Amino acid sequence: MALREPAWRVTARELESSLEQEPGTGDRAASHVLSPFGARMNRVLIAGSVSVAEPIGRETPQAFWRARLTDPTGAVAVTAGSFQPRAMAQLRAATFPRSAIVVGKVHLYRDRGGVGYVSVRAEAVRTVAEADERAVLADAVRQTLDRLDLLERIEKGTELTDAEARTEGIPLAWVRAARDALRKYPNADRAAFRRELKNAVRRVAGDSGPVPSPRPPAVTVVRAPPPPPAPPPPTAAEREEESVFLDLLDEVAEVSSDGYADLKELLARVAARGVEGERAEATLNRLEEEGVVEEPIVGKLRRA
Amino acid sequence: MSAGGSANAPIERRLRDLAAGTEPVEFVGRIVAVERREVTRRSDGSRRPLLSGLVSDGTATVRFTWWDPPRDGIERGTVVRVVGAEVGSFRGRPEVTFSWKTRVGPASPVELPRLDPSEIPFRTVKELAPPDEGFRVEARVLRVGPRAVSVGQERRVVFDGLLADRTGAIALSAWSDFGLKEGEAVRIQGGYVRAFRGRPQLVLDERSSVVRIDDGDLPPAAEWLRGPPRSIAEVEDGGGGASVAVEGVVVGLLPPSGLVYRCPTCGRSITSGICRIHGQVQGQADLRARLVLDDGTGSLTVHANREETERLWGVTLEECRKRLRDLPDPSVLEEQLLEAVLGRRLRVRGAGTKDDFGITLTPDTIEPVEVDLDAAAAELLARIPEER
Repeated sequence: MALREPAWRVTARELESSLEQEPGTGDRAASHVLSPFGARMNRVLIAGSVSVAEPIGRETPQAFWRARLTDPTGAVAVTAGSFQPRAMAQLRAATFPRSAIVVGKVHLYRDRGGVGYVSVRAEAVRTVAEADERAVLADAVRQTLDRLDLLERIEKGTELTDAEARTEGIPLAWVRAARDALRKYPNADRAAFRRELKNAVRRVAGDSGPVPSPRPPAVTVVRAPPPPPAPPPPTAAEREEESVFLDLLDEVAEVSSDGYADLKELLARVAARGVEGERAEATLNRLEEEGVVEEPIVGKLRRA
Repeated sequence: MSAGGSANAPIERRLRDLAAGTEPVEFVGRIVAVERREVTRRSDGSRRPLLSGLVSDGTATVRFTWWDPPRDGIERGTVVRVVGAEVGSFRGRPEVTFSWKTRVGPASPVELPRLDPSEIPFRTVKELAPPDEGFRVEARVLRVGPRAVSVGQERRVVFDGLLADRTGAIALSAWSDFGLKEGEAVRIQGGYVRAFRGRPQLVLDERSSVVRIDDGDLPPAAEWLRGPPRSIAEVEDGGGGASVAVEGVVVGLLPPSGLVYRCPTCGRSITSGICRIHGQVQGQADLRARLVLDDGTGSLTVHANREETERLWGVTLEECRKRLRDLPDPSVLEEQLLEAVLGRRLRVRGAGTKDDFGITLTPDTIEPVEVDLDAAAAELLARIPEER
């Protein structure tokens, strides 16, 4: 039984702060992004000012478009590709920034440093009157405050049974998401986030014009995976191994027909000089990371 | 076989008090449904007849199986005295079996157990679920009207409507005329609850009684119909209802929406001029919209009919057909409909049914919602503490 995912009402700031991806389990299960403020999002409905879209992607430049949606709390990338023809046409059509609402799926991309980039793959984009944009923003703020209240209650240790949540009209999915958010983001500054919503409320009240949006201090802390520690500078012994490695690489490359050093042969020769197994691997990795050596073909090395 | 042993004498019981066990029982009940079947004996392949159906004595209705019944069968509505029936259980509910040891004879309706009203449990509307019976309920008639139906060859009038108390609402289907009027407060006894299109429905027939009562605690009909919307998550959790109100934003449109063609006989929407039931037919054009309404806690599908779709879209069926003549691509029409409804904020009241894809709402009313932004801003601001 696959129920349609609800469109969570969130602000751009909450999307920016979300770093926890939960891949779906099972057949065709939806994946979710968990925010520090108790939203387990697959689909969202967001409102703001949408910029002119630009094409991205290498091959056919028309196949994928990206715009930015800015609300008083932050900004988030909105994309649409050929699988969302309707949304793509909408994104492409605009020639100037305008008020719009976007329904779409949340995507989280994590780079190697653990920094997360959230984007919304649009299913539907619609240019709306400013009042409609503000009304959707009001929903987002209201439901965000509801979720923050819920997190606070659970954090204080209040037992909230399913029956109690039902009586109070709190969706059970919210309760579960709130518990998980508290566990996954123990250090998120929820009080600061709540105060930031004030900018959005001003906008709801019609306080338009350029929103002074000094980048607020980060309120989320990444927990998993921890940022990789900076590697300690190589020791003299390691330097020695590196130079042995490079000398032999040159030797092997010199005599090979294609100008590359064969990895197996190189490792055999390095081993003969006393640099074996894991140490050889580590040396190679270090050289690759420093950009001295590259492996353009699997098993074939050369100087970068 | 021990003859006349007091230990084996059947004990007279009301059907409500039946429990699966070994002792044979005696009861008086009315046959409310009956069906003749035959089973094949495994030993010699011969056919053995049986009757099965439902027997009710006003306190409960139980399924019966009657082995080797009289050749003429038995008519629905007959009151019988059953002596020495065995009580079994099927899926946790008691059922009775009549075998060669059982004596089944005619009885008079006055022999049916007499029920003191105080013995009949009182239920709220929310508590009613199939296959309940033998209860009392007090409710307000929100809506009622006659509808002609054909049962087999027979034409009958059934009174369809909606009942509500403070706890909820339920669909009503009365097979006799109780003279029900909108706005009345009534006490109902002798009805039963069945599932109809996935929702509970309270069914009244000639054995039911309806008494007008003072308003008591019942909400006025208008108050019920203008009540505040519930969250969609709550409606999903509760599995729908006879009259639920929700408020949300249209975030999508499900196919088939826009201009559709229907079978002239059964009204099903057809594809390529072929009806699932009636084969090749000349389709009749109709307009519909299957709106995905979402309030952030959940989403459901609203089935808007032609009139509602025309009102939301501002385009009539005639105009649609004209546009289609100019540009023969129905998907363009669907696109235009989506463009017209996407992002619209609607309050919808209607009957909700749950299936594998979630809740579907068949609307009684669809109203656009205006948001008071100043009031919303003030309310939200009050929930955010001042800067330190």
